[in-house]
Amino acid sequence: MTQTITIQGETFILDPTGSVFWQSKNLLLIADVHLGKVAHFRKYGAAVPSKASSKNYDKLEEVIARHKPETICFLGDLFHSTLNNEWNIFETWVKKKPTKIILVSGNHDIISPHKFEALGIEVLDQLKIDSFLLTHHPTEKEKIFNFSGHIHPGVRMRGPGRQTLKLACFFRTNNQMILPAFGNFTGKYILQPSEKDTVYAIVENEVICVS
Amino acid sequence: MKKKDLIAIAETWFQEKNWKPFPFQKKTWNAFLQGKHGLLNAPTGSGKTYALWAPIVLEYIKDNPDYKTKKKKGIKAIWITPLRALSVEIQQAAQRFADDLETDLTIGIRTGDTSQSERAKQKRAMPDLLITTPESLMLLLASKGYDKTFKTLTAIVIDEWHELLGSKRGVQVELALSRLKTVCPKLRIWGVSATIGNLEQAQQVLLGVDENAVKNSVLIKDSKKKKITVKSIIPKKMETFPWRGHLGLHLLEDIVPIIKNSKTTIIFTNTRGQCEIWFQKLLEKHPEFAGEIAMHHGSIAKDTRLWVEQAIRNESLTAVVATSSLDLGVDFAPVETIIQIGGPKGVAKFLQRAGRSNHRPGEASVIYFLPTHALELIEASALKKAVKERVIEDRIPYLLSFDVLIQYLVTLAVSNGFIPAEIFKEVKNTFCFQGITEEQWQWCLNFITIGSQSLQSYDEYKRVEVTPQGLFKVESRRVAMMHRLSIGTIVSDSMLMVKYVSGGFIGTIEEFFIGKMKPGDTFVFAGRTLELVRLRNMVAQVRRSKKKTNKVVSFMGGRMTLSSQMSEILREELQSEADHKRNTPELKALRHLFERQELESIIPRENEFLIESFKTREGYHTIFYPFEGRFVHEAMSGLLAYRISLLSPITFSLAYNDYGFELLCDQPLDVQQIIDNNLFSTDYLFSDLQKSINATELARRKFRDIAVISGLVFQGYPNKMVKTKHLQSSSQLLFDVFRDYEADNLLYQQAFRETYEHQLEEGRLRLALERINKQEIIWKKCNKPTPFSFPIITDRLREKLSSEKLADRIKKMKLQLEK
Repeated sequence: MTQTITIQGETFILDPTGSVFWQSKNLLLIADVHLGKVAHFRKYGAAVPSKASSKNYDKLEEVIARHKPETICFLGDLFHSTLNNEWNIFETWVKKKPTKIILVSGNHDIISPHKFEALGIEVLDQLKIDSFLLTHHPTEKEKIFNFSGHIHPGVRMRGPGRQTLKLACFFRTNNQMILPAFGNFTGKYILQPSEKDTVYAIVENEVICVS
Repeated sequence: MKKKDLIAIAETWFQEKNWKPFPFQKKTWNAFLQGKHGLLNAPTGSGKTYALWAPIVLEYIKDNPDYKTKKKKGIKAIWITPLRALSVEIQQAAQRFADDLETDLTIGIRTGDTSQSERAKQKRAMPDLLITTPESLMLLLASKGYDKTFKTLTAIVIDEWHELLGSKRGVQVELALSRLKTVCPKLRIWGVSATIGNLEQAQQVLLGVDENAVKNSVLIKDSKKKKITVKSIIPKKMETFPWRGHLGLHLLEDIVPIIKNSKTTIIFTNTRGQCEIWFQKLLEKHPEFAGEIAMHHGSIAKDTRLWVEQAIRNESLTAVVATSSLDLGVDFAPVETIIQIGGPKGVAKFLQRAGRSNHRPGEASVIYFLPTHALELIEASALKKAVKERVIEDRIPYLLSFDVLIQYLVTLAVSNGFIPAEIFKEVKNTFCFQGITEEQWQWCLNFITIGSQSLQSYDEYKRVEVTPQGLFKVESRRVAMMHRLSIGTIVSDSMLMVKYVSGGFIGTIEEFFIGKMKPGDTFVFAGRTLELVRLRNMVAQVRRSKKKTNKVVSFMGGRMTLSSQMSEILREELQSEADHKRNTPELKALRHLFERQELESIIPRENEFLIESFKTREGYHTIFYPFEGRFVHEAMSGLLAYRISLLSPITFSLAYNDYGFELLCDQPLDVQQIIDNNLFSTDYLFSDLQKSINATELARRKFRDIAVISGLVFQGYPNKMVKTKHLQSSSQLLFDVFRDYEADNLLYQQAFRETYEHQLEEGRLRLALERINKQEIIWKKCNKPTPFSFPIITDRLREKLSSEKLADRIKKMKLQLEK
């Protein structure tokens, strides 16, 4: 169900939850969870089912159980908006986790870094490990491979009999990999890959290379 | 003053104008002055304003004998119109009558276009007659103390009720009336409707399930019938006339002499895109028309539209290319000729358009029908028959529209606040909500107060609050403002404004079209060639361009379906063709096409059901011909595809038009298997439909309106798009979330119910299946696509249905690469 790939000699496992596990570093990469989005909507009178929010934690537990990472690095947009009650749930969850957590902050992360740091979460603008650069916004840098989020990538598939399907995906160019949005109350943005790009689509509980 | 004397005042006024009141006007005066409610069935431009405004003034005179010297304060009447454009005309007519009678009554307009200062002025002192739209009436109910404002109301008139009836704006009107009935004890409710099949029901919907109101009401019909002549434009060379298409430009030259021989012509198209293209091509081929022809559709700036309407009235235009935006409303006396391009799909619409021409009494209205592809000539032939026999469609009112109810309840909570027990009684008396249960009512109350059906910890949901006294009230100013802004939102795709760089508003355009363009690209809109300079904050800034371009602005949606009445006549026409009677000029002209059809296939008789199959480069096509209109075909194709997919894993792509539908597949389909397994059965129809994937897809689309109306999706503050970004989500996303976590949500379920009742027309589908089961099924294996199949297989708007595993399907598919 997962897909294992190699980039610059390093092994990465693409997980159908939309996360990437970096084996040698025992590091899990997750982008665009948008926690608190449901609560934010509800606070302003849009009755989005609150169950949609707890599903994010189920997914987190699932992927952590599968790979048992030492560290989790969130590639930005961990929280959708300002502080709301969802923070309390997150706080409880973090306190129970022995895993180290890093946040590479994104455009939605407007909650003060001190709040995260108080929970033992390191907040960074970017994180460089060997020749890999972890950011929120996709970044081009020579000789460096970049993992990012922000875009919420998706692709459109066409088949015989004029069928079409839209799927969330991992989007890989020569020296970049954009992760799909992890959060389940997030949309996707349809990209049009060129022939040089590699696309790993998430199909139910599988990651399939479609390019 | 006695009723007789009052009516004499109105009659005298008519005499002074050298007019004579029509019988329907007099009947309406009488009924109104007797205190009755009612529905007036009168066509556009027949003097209906005076039929109802006159007795309102007379009633005022009766109640205030010294009206000439002492004016009584307070609003007397509300006039609801679906289109803002109509309000000025009504205002002028009403003002003239009020002034001539020296009543000193004032007439005001309040719509989305009304300025802030004017609104404030109205708030201080309401005009005596307020002309407004359903949305603006709702907004008035959202302002504090509306009950005191409306207390003096004696009458409310709903104009063009047939137009509102089959829409959610009609439900808004029903709810507003239910409140006004309580607030204004002396209120008389009157509707004005064009002819529709279910006039009695229209009257009932207007008055609600209130026995006394219905008993105390009348239905007045304008008995005078207009003569209508339909002429088809038959291509001179049928052999080269295309089998498919929807533009009809092949016949452009044929309408030029018609335009030139008539004073003013309205050319009706079915879509805004088609309208743009026709206007462009007419000018291109006939530059001599420059300055003499104009265009009119809903996306063009209001000023331009008003200018066009005025130009029609003062006869300075030779022709106007229009969409349904000119269907309604005021009289255009100089219009001599109407041309309809493409099938109008319904008799009522066609008659209404025909009625826009030639208002001279005794003379027939002339309407030309221009087919856009060969098979549409059969439709033309059927249309003529329908006009002759005056077959008119029904308008189906909405039932249990919880989204509108939720919007209404928040509206009341924003203004005075409400006590549920009082409002429930009123709501249950409306036609729309007569079937609402206590549980459903409680569900709606929970939805607006706690945002779910049970209280949850950590929840900050905030919309309507309940005071210790049990009053449901919105306390947050922000919630109130967001709600007021969302009442008037027109539900549509994201619309962008098109403006010149130097300022100057041209019109609105859908995001899906402009989203595909880059700065520097040119396109044609509102009859001008424009270059896109930049997109900024929902505004597309453009400048004029001299470049040639073939990109004409296009708009989504709006495909209409053949009504069941039209479908039936169409099948009769085919029967006569199968008998080779060829008794109309349209059918005669199609001889060539029919012969091609009969080469490999047949023309089905009334007792035959035709199925064709053949293979092309695209795959294996199987075409079914129920001749029931595209909505029924949409449902039937999904149903059949689903049932076939139960037999073995298979993936279909579906297409349909008004004549039939296609199942396209990457493997051959055994039609005998369909027949042997009795797949056209009506057993388990509802549950099978629900499982067929396109019901879900359709419901997903219906959910868009529902999400906006019920306030789940906030479309943002005008011109302040950025600040609300954190609150924007697509209704698609919400739909999925409800499906996964709250499938019993009434709004989610409503999307499906609307799909079955209004889109898939479940009732019609059942009848069609029953008919097919009595017919003889004829399966023709063809070598090539037949003329009947051609418009269907070339349709690009498609649905899909699959029973293969998703992963297996993906393996067969290709990634869509950059173009």
